[in-house]
Amino acid sequence: MKVKRKRTCYFEENGIVYIDFKDEKLLRRFLTEQGKIIPRHISGTSAKYQRQLATAVKRARHLALLPYVADFTR
Amino acid sequence: MAIYETIFILDSLIPPKDIETTIQKYSAIITENGGKIREVDKWGKRRLAYEIQKKQYGFYVAIEFEGPGTIPRLLEADYNYNDKVLRFLTYRYDKNKLKSMAMDQDKAKAKKAESEPVKESVEKTVVEEKAPEVSEEVVKDDAPVVEDEAVESTEKPEEVAEENPDTEEAGEEEKS
Repeated sequence: MKVKRKRTCYFEENGIVYIDFKDEKLLRRFLTEQGKIIPRHISGTSAKYQRQLATAVKRARHLALLPYVADFTR
Repeated sequence: MAIYETIFILDSLIPPKDIETTIQKYSAIITENGGKIREVDKWGKRRLAYEIQKKQYGFYVAIEFEGPGTIPRLLEADYNYNDKVLRFLTYRYDKNKLKSMAMDQDKAKAKKAESEPVKESVEKTVVEEKAPEVSEEVVKDDAPVVEDEAVESTEKPEEVAEENPDTEEAGEEEKS
């Protein structure tokens, strides 16, 4: 039996209305090591904020604040 | 008139004078075409997350402005023409951003309105509310400040009172 842990939306809990793409530290929390956006069934982000998050990450990537791909060597 | 923000990355190797002149040049484009500059924010030299044109570092500049929708096109035409600009992004503030801005303004206003005398009055009312409860629960000699401790250690209320002499006075006030 898998124990289901309840995940909650970070943005709803903290009352964040607008996800700023300049806040690179916050965005990194929702990226994998490789720089991929973590799907919302894992992070628990609500659909409303996942949409906003995606545009924010993409803008940050364009301005070289976040990597498109971060290869980590083993 | 919508609010826009344009961010561009300049080559960090060019002299600071040139950075200033390019910023002025782009601000001039905005103002000449009926725009109004709200804020110029220089983030400074930053490390790029990945190389752009073989460069590791870039100088970030952000200009927030208000104006007609023709300006972004004009700016971008010039960015494309300028070799010193490594990257640029111009976007319009969406409803969420405007909402958060309005919320921030409200907060700032609330802070200003909440000057010191208001805070004091709030504290006083809290004390007044708490005071009668204490006198009922613990027999006597306990101030509202030590309320939590007093409730826990109901067996020895007198000791608590002895420790802080101020509390005795408060207790007397309650009786009267």
